Amino acid sequence: MSTHLKTYHPYVSPFDPCKPILEKKYSTPPHLYMGFQPPNLPQFTPVEALKAGTLWKDFYDTWYSPYEKPNRGGHQS
Amino acid sequence: MKQMPAEYYQLMEQLQAVDFVLVELTLYLDTHDDDLEAVKQFNHYVKERKRIKKAFESQYGPLQQFGNSYSDFPWNWNDSPWPWQV
Repeated sequence: MSTHLKTYHPYVSPFDPCKPILEKKYSTPPHLYMGFQPPNLPQFTPVEALKAGTLWKDFYDTWYSPYEKPNRGGHQS
Repeated sequence: MKQMPAEYYQLMEQLQAVDFVLVELTLYLDTHDDDLEAVKQFNHYVKERKRIKKAFESQYGPLQQFGNSYSDFPWNWNDSPWPWQV
């Protein structure tokens, strides 16, 4: 259920005034890995679904930025 | 100062949650038109929404206009709180 974190390495120029960021991370949603949605996936209750932003548990994506410290529970990066 | 009771917000949240489920199921059923379970669930929540709407409107007046809701007497669909004031 964890969000799939991907990384890429930006180009660092010799004239770059600031400290170079060598690796940057980004989270990808679960939709990318599912293709056509199978029927009868496990669901949230309506109120939970409202908070989660989706009806099906498999599509829930906490979408935390990796640089943000996890302040809310259920943070899976 | 007119204050809405807590139940007003509870009913509103239930309505919002059921509406969200209906939106999700509609989008799902657009691409899965042969999924009987989902259609049954959809109809269940349509019935549920009508029940919540009836309960809400009997106490707090119409939710929508132009024939989407019955009207009380006197004509009060434009009373506060408006959606952005809730």
